[in-house]
Amino acid sequence: MSNNYEVAIIGGGIIGMATAYYLSKKGIKLAVIDKKYIGSGSTGRCIGGIRQQFSNQTAIRLMKQSVELFSQMEEEFGFNVEFYKGGYLLLAHDKKTEQEFIKNIKIQHKEKINVSLVSPDDIKKLVPHVNTDGIISGAFCPDDGQAFPFAVLRGYKKIITENRGDFFLRNQVVKLEKNKNFSIMLQDGTKIEAEKVLLSTGPWTRELGKKVGLDLPLYPERHEAMITERMPKFFEPMIVDYRPDGCYFHQLINGQVIGCYTPVPNVPGIKEDASFEFLPNIAWRMTRLIPSLKNASVLRHWAGCYTMTPDGNPIIDESEIKGLYVASGMSGHGFMFGPAMGKFMAKFIIEGKWDMDFKDFSIKRSLKINAEQLK
Amino acid sequence: MKEKVIVCRCEDVTEDEVIEAIQSGATTLEELKRVLRVGMGSCQGRTCGPILVSLLARELNKNPKEIKQWNKRPPLKPVHMKIFIEE
Repeated sequence: MSNNYEVAIIGGGIIGMATAYYLSKKGIKLAVIDKKYIGSGSTGRCIGGIRQQFSNQTAIRLMKQSVELFSQMEEEFGFNVEFYKGGYLLLAHDKKTEQEFIKNIKIQHKEKINVSLVSPDDIKKLVPHVNTDGIISGAFCPDDGQAFPFAVLRGYKKIITENRGDFFLRNQVVKLEKNKNFSIMLQDGTKIEAEKVLLSTGPWTRELGKKVGLDLPLYPERHEAMITERMPKFFEPMIVDYRPDGCYFHQLINGQVIGCYTPVPNVPGIKEDASFEFLPNIAWRMTRLIPSLKNASVLRHWAGCYTMTPDGNPIIDESEIKGLYVASGMSGHGFMFGPAMGKFMAKFIIEGKWDMDFKDFSIKRSLKINAEQLK
Repeated sequence: MKEKVIVCRCEDVTEDEVIEAIQSGATTLEELKRVLRVGMGSCQGRTCGPILVSLLARELNKNPKEIKQWNKRPPLKPVHMKIFIEE
């Protein structure tokens, strides 16, 4: 068997799988390689939020497309990916955050996003269980929502397989070299030749890039999450509390409440272990906003990585090595960016030009990484 | 009609669905979980775990001892949020 491909995609998370999906629809001969299994990294650990409320114009435009693509998945895959528009409700407890919201809403309105500043009374109507003490306002977009990451990946895998894409799973890349084409050596001795390669390995992208001499300004951070038992549906939107000791959580369509917080200070490095302090912290933060969650049972708590860049925007581009593409540094937004990013990336890989202005996500922009962040 | 055999009671997953997932490439409990949601309900895999191990072993011609256990996720059993915040 000869392992020659037009495109080899390293990393079977949402970015790699979405790109592979769109490439496979164009009849490109491709392989997806993962050191574990599809969704074993950050995508399989994320909480499935989808929002268009960004401050960066490129991110907003990308997310508008993603929302559209999420809404088409059920029809394309033949099963439900639990996409649901419950909205995103961002909460301001101080003037500075409110000013930030007002500024962002202006940018979002220019992009025709249905978002508005809402009062504590409106918030009470949106989420009757919420404790509005200290809340001065919120930003609400009803078109944001959620989907189930495992199901989305399963759908992509189904179609990629139907389109004769190959998978090399449980097989780590040990060597990546560029000669005329790229040659990839896997852990079990398998050799793969590809004309083009995409690195979409999230937190592992920096290490992988080093194999071909790329110094990518990416640094992983640990984020933890938890999920409760199923409960009757009692609130719709993702609630984001922007205080330094805030959190973000939503209720899935099956009734489970799933939530996270951003630790201050951050926890650098590729770490997927659960900490002792997380559950008491998240329980306190979530019940402060919705006191009735006190009687909800926590089922499970886990951790995964955000892959950060110095400016919080992703890196999606062709690297200085011709034919070697990078899509990483999603900074916590990989799942929601994924569908649109995969679509654009696939086209870029095939045609060499973007359908949208991606200057803000270019590998050539100035990105200085702090040594502290690489610990 | 063939009778449905429920393997995971929390998430209503049948034996046929598990076998189909194994035939389409899943080789571990963690992969089954990511395809079928098995082990993610209230019992956290205590009921379905041993059955899934035997199905994986049978379908993959392995000794059940070779099938790796779930990643352990705290708090292991459902715990009310208020327990974590009580003084």
